[in-house]
Amino acid sequence: MKTRFRAAVVLICWLFAAAGAAEDDSDVTHLTDDTGNRMPLRTVVPVYPERALADRIEGEVQVCFNVDREGRTSRIAVRRSSNRLFEKPAMLAIRGSTYAPLPQGEELSGIKTCRTFRFLLDPVAIEVPDELSADVEP
Amino acid sequence: MKMIFDHGAYRACIVGCLCLSAAGVLAQSNTTILGPSNPNLKYGADALLSGDTDEGIRLTLMGLEFARGARERQTAKSNLCAGYVMLREYDTALAYCDEVLGENDGYWRAYSNRALIYVKLGRLEDAERDLQKGEAISPSSRTLKAVRRMLLDATNPVSPTIIIDDRRSPARDTDED
Repeated sequence: MKTRFRAAVVLICWLFAAAGAAEDDSDVTHLTDDTGNRMPLRTVVPVYPERALADRIEGEVQVCFNVDREGRTSRIAVRRSSNRLFEKPAMLAIRGSTYAPLPQGEELSGIKTCRTFRFLLDPVAIEVPDELSADVEP
Repeated sequence: MKMIFDHGAYRACIVGCLCLSAAGVLAQSNTTILGPSNPNLKYGADALLSGDTDEGIRLTLMGLEFARGARERQTAKSNLCAGYVMLREYDTALAYCDEVLGENDGYWRAYSNRALIYVKLGRLEDAERDLQKGEAISPSSRTLKAVRRMLLDATNPVSPTIIIDDRRSPARDTDED
């Protein structure tokens, strides 16, 4: 029963992640395992900072935070970061994310949860055959 | 990456160049004068900055006709280059930028405008060369940086990818607060 519940939660989490990705135009991969004691419910995908995108900067931020009984995040703090540009979007993403509420009878573990965001840029090949010719027409 | 050519950035490039050119017109003389020394050039730049491209070009052409000295002439031609870029008349714009740089190869705004034209025309190696020259003269120019980004979008398009990694074992909370 507990396994089914976890599977359902993971499915919901993936759906939310996919929705976030569609808004931001970023590809999103969510890696999970069983080491965490709380299951993600709503995962907000951070926005790739415009300046980092323009300057072709990649980076990584690890954010640690508490999750209360209802699954809300609090006491969000950056544990490590390769570039400050990524810290705010990562913290905002955590602030908007939620976890599955703690079932009745279970107690808070007092363990901080950490999430690592990797902001990467994949080279892409884009062909825009008509744009330049359209631009030069009066 | 949705847009190769960001028109907002492109407009910002032009406006940035025009602002500085207009300021140059006003600051070029040490004599005390009331109003700009070349009103057509000044008001032409104002019109271009406000988006009235046709009027801006008309006034700037008049300003060029009555330009006093190389500085005013170069400013006029540089602004005409920018104006015709705004009209997407790249060949005409290119001719004016070439004239400016023929007279003064240290005029970074003309390098910036010409690099923008080259990006729009797909002449990316020429754009890179002009950007390098402009950046050597004015390394902190925001206008040049905007054109540099447009060139990067054309030569090195990227797609943002975000990996959310929850696999790390939660750390024991040792905070005292």
